[in-house]
Amino acid sequence: MNTFLEQLPVVIGALNVGFIQTLKLFSLTLLGAFPLGLIIAFGSLSKIRAISVTTQFIIWIIRGTPLMIQLLIVYYFPGLVLHNPIWGGGEQGRFLAATLAFVINYACYFSEIYRGGIQSVPVGQTEAGLVLGMTRRQIFFHVTLLQMIKRIVPPISNEIITLVKDTALARIIALQEIIWAGQAFMKGSHGISGAIWPLFFTAFYYLVFNGIVTVLLAKFERKLDYFR
Amino acid sequence: MKKLLLLLVVVMALCSCAYAETDSEYVKSKGVLVVGITDFKPMDYKNEKGEWIGFDADLARAFAESLGVKVEFQEIEWNNKILELDGKNIDCVWNGMTLTPEVKSSMSCSNPYCNNAQIVVVPSANAAKYDTAEKIKDLNFAVEHGSAGNEQAIAHGFKVTEVQDQASALMEVASGTADAAIIDSLMAAAMVGKGTGYENLTYTVALNSEEYGVGFRKGSDLTFLLNAFFEAGYNDGSIAKVAETYGIQAALIRQ
Repeated sequence: MNTFLEQLPVVIGALNVGFIQTLKLFSLTLLGAFPLGLIIAFGSLSKIRAISVTTQFIIWIIRGTPLMIQLLIVYYFPGLVLHNPIWGGGEQGRFLAATLAFVINYACYFSEIYRGGIQSVPVGQTEAGLVLGMTRRQIFFHVTLLQMIKRIVPPISNEIITLVKDTALARIIALQEIIWAGQAFMKGSHGISGAIWPLFFTAFYYLVFNGIVTVLLAKFERKLDYFR
Repeated sequence: MKKLLLLLVVVMALCSCAYAETDSEYVKSKGVLVVGITDFKPMDYKNEKGEWIGFDADLARAFAESLGVKVEFQEIEWNNKILELDGKNIDCVWNGMTLTPEVKSSMSCSNPYCNNAQIVVVPSANAAKYDTAEKIKDLNFAVEHGSAGNEQAIAHGFKVTEVQDQASALMEVASGTADAAIIDSLMAAAMVGKGTGYENLTYTVALNSEEYGVGFRKGSDLTFLLNAFFEAGYNDGSIAKVAETYGIQAALIRQ
């Protein structure tokens, strides 16, 4: 197992397994953080002061601390402090804990982007809606929402591309994503030991995937052009 | 804030009072012994079929069998091993763990079962230049953060760069960013030299001698059960047989 050509298929196989974990974490985070972010945005825009202040406090904590620490807290706090290891020791529990931490973290960033988008729609449009006898709910879904989406695509794209790479942080709680899989070959894994190149090869996976994401987001942005 | 802390302490105290079952009862009641490992040849590593094998893995499997429970291997981040253990995500650390004072004070450790040394790894081309502890004292060393090798480097007054794990320490030497690394001799035997991924590296000076043990949660009764298991296995020769499979019989410790 010493020549590069002998190693290649084994390494690709192991990296693929790791990359599936990366992709799962990426998609579930988006799936959870998109709607949760909107709820948080409504919270920080709320006219009831108690709600808006509490929400902004939570956003401050989540954005003000490293995601790596949040991962450690979400995964270890139940077992260490509450003596109830709810996540269990297996790979699945680690994945769920990582997903929860990522969803909360990204939802807070998304919420601020949503808030910017909502507030950028001129208040005159809401007033016009009210004059026409629309309810606030109707105004949000029929007037504000699509304009907001159009405006937030570029900043949200930034976050999405960052998220692809941030998933690597989950290795701190031993989630076996692609970088973990690549690093394993340095010690010895699948009969190959002391191989350094698989670690650097993982960059290629991120690069290709982010290329695909970038193209898809650009397409989506063009589709929204009819608002102009 | 003070009140909150106090509340937390009270909650923790209550939780630990209510917790009366012993560690072995806990493991038996869930029916599985979760063994915390890292990928570390020849102690714990995967064969071509993806099953965990190695001297430690085989013995852990046999020990779980003797308890009447299943074994589950969980890869952990080595720096978090005490968090993993105390948080009950794993039930023991069984992975060629050097019994340092730090380890002994934070875990309930078994009797030592295997000898090890911290050994200096250098590029083969320089091996002749660096064959005594005196000649290597001015080199730049790469060591695993918090490892036994790290402690040895500090004790010898070496200049060190701390890296994530022993494999990264080797990479530092291979890439020329460090002159030498200090790693476990059992690992060095399996990982550097002819037929390995680091053909241009070799090991020279052993800085100390030390012992491997298995770590359980503090106050665990599994430690006694494992010591008895080691003693029986040593006396009937079954442990020696496993050691021969992985070529480490010379390092075994009498139980």
